[in-house]
Amino acid sequence: MPERMIILKHVSVGYGKYRAGKPAEEALVVKDVSFEIGQGRSVCLVGPNGSGKTTLLRAIAGMLPAYGEILVDGKNLREIKRKEIASYLSFLSQMSRVYYSFSVYETVMQGRYVHGGSFFSQTASRDREVVEETLESLGLQDLSHRQITTLSGGQIQRVMLARCIAQESPVMILDEPLNYLDMKIQSEFIDYIFRWREKPVKTDWGKEYQPTIIGVFHDINIAACIADDMAMLSDGRLLAFGEKKDVLTEEMLEKTYRFDAAGYLRKYRSCFSV
Amino acid sequence: MKNFPRKKPRNQASQSTFTLQIGAAILAGLAALILGICIGSVNIALSDTVSIILAKLTGGAVKDSIDASLVSILWEIRIPRTLCAFLVGGALAVSGAVIQSILQNPLASSYTLGVSSGACLGTALIIITGAGSASIGYFLLPAAGFGCGLGTVLLVIVIASRFDSGFQNHTIILFGMIVSLFVNAVMTMLSALNESHMQRLILWQMGSFSGRRFSHAAVIFACVLAGTVLTVFFHRELDILSFGDEEAAAVGVDRKRIKILLLVLSSFLTGVSVCFTGVIGFVDLTIPHIVRKIYGSTHKVVIPMSFLFGGAFMTLCDLLARTLMAPQEIPIGAITAFIGAPFFLWVYYKGRV
Repeated sequence: MPERMIILKHVSVGYGKYRAGKPAEEALVVKDVSFEIGQGRSVCLVGPNGSGKTTLLRAIAGMLPAYGEILVDGKNLREIKRKEIASYLSFLSQMSRVYYSFSVYETVMQGRYVHGGSFFSQTASRDREVVEETLESLGLQDLSHRQITTLSGGQIQRVMLARCIAQESPVMILDEPLNYLDMKIQSEFIDYIFRWREKPVKTDWGKEYQPTIIGVFHDINIAACIADDMAMLSDGRLLAFGEKKDVLTEEMLEKTYRFDAAGYLRKYRSCFSV
Repeated sequence: MKNFPRKKPRNQASQSTFTLQIGAAILAGLAALILGICIGSVNIALSDTVSIILAKLTGGAVKDSIDASLVSILWEIRIPRTLCAFLVGGALAVSGAVIQSILQNPLASSYTLGVSSGACLGTALIIITGAGSASIGYFLLPAAGFGCGLGTVLLVIVIASRFDSGFQNHTIILFGMIVSLFVNAVMTMLSALNESHMQRLILWQMGSFSGRRFSHAAVIFACVLAGTVLTVFFHRELDILSFGDEEAAAVGVDRKRIKILLLVLSSFLTGVSVCFTGVIGFVDLTIPHIVRKIYGSTHKVVIPMSFLFGGAFMTLCDLLARTLMAPQEIPIGAITAFIGAPFFLWVYYKGRV
């Protein structure tokens, strides 16, 4: 087991009004989940709709308050500031509407926010360097002065991925970033993610980390492709956690999705003559 | 490894056009100020204007060739009024830009959060109780308006953050509108019960720059300058927040704290404007959009340019308000909407191509 990057201890998450103490069982969407994610691993949360995987992911990203403990590199998420959370975790969600027009360069530069000082910080040369490197590695250098409102969905999502990478946080959280995108873009995206995983990430406090990924994907095929480990959730509870080949078994799929999932996957593959 | 094109030729060209565009905007702002000062029911030649201003500033005597009444019109009426119009226009446009960005709503403005209804209520209370007619000075009315305006916004923020721990944009807008409507209702009841004051109340609400003096201009100047400069310090946070709450949190912006701070700051700017001049619509809504169409959405540029454009626009509108049907004055709010609406449509559709 490599060094542990993220530890979940009895994590429960619920929506609605929060009173002191833990809410009733039925108000919880995620119930008493515990697991550990090793540094450098890629973990996908899988399970049927309403199983609580997105909710759990958001809690890990610090976007939702959670009961229990979530530790990132030994630090309790609840006790550190937003900026420090962002220096550990970058977050990419599904394509959202863009209201105002910024250039690609300006958008990616936003990922450098965590590295800036306070009010008066000017764009440092290190920030420019990282942004330009990132743009180039994602093939965005020719678009860098384009306004994002003029880009296609796939291009916007690539820009947002660039923003995450430029943030230089050792953990990347992916919340269904490939929704609405076609096969070619999905494949390119997965390649970019794999390439990002190859190089250790050095943080501002001088520590090097192996890049870690935690993701939720609508399509179980993509999840299977990206993950080393899988956490199988059903009805807010953790059914299984481990290497993907141990989790994605015929019985486990059937138990979780409550239908002949393996048969469905086989039927679906047999439709292609590839 | 391929070299990253550090400065593309196209970029260099667009950089110089950009500088040119900013220079043009500054010149246009100055031109609007000069026009506002020189033109009126009595036109004053530019050379006379300059020599009067120079004489006043240096403490010297005004040339004998210039009529003494011109001097007092210019110095005691025209200049403070024009300055007030410019500052208020700028402040409204800046606050509009901020609110539209952080609430991610192109139709929002700080009026949505109840600044104006609060300010109206505060002023109404003073007018009806008759405290304003006492010789306490020019500042009781504005102070009451300002206090109630800001109080209303704070109430909206408190309620919204109580009900919604995520402090989401639609919650803020919803509670803003509900509280505004409620405060408006109180205000309507008050004025219905006090018919003798109704006309004064209505006139105040329509907004006007007439009778503004240097003491007003000085207070507005100090507040607006402080508010605008502070806002510019938050340009990165504003950029990031225009992508949405979650995206902002993802890169490390403490969204709730920054949002509340910016909401209060822009309400302060609107509050200062409303309490001295009444409710003037449209500038806060349209100017930021026009600025974004021309300069892009980076707030480092949007905030100062909104100030300049808003100021110039308001100055020209005030000029029209007092000259079009002179000696009668048209309420300035009518002018801003009358010119602003078609102009906005034109810019919006032209900018889309």
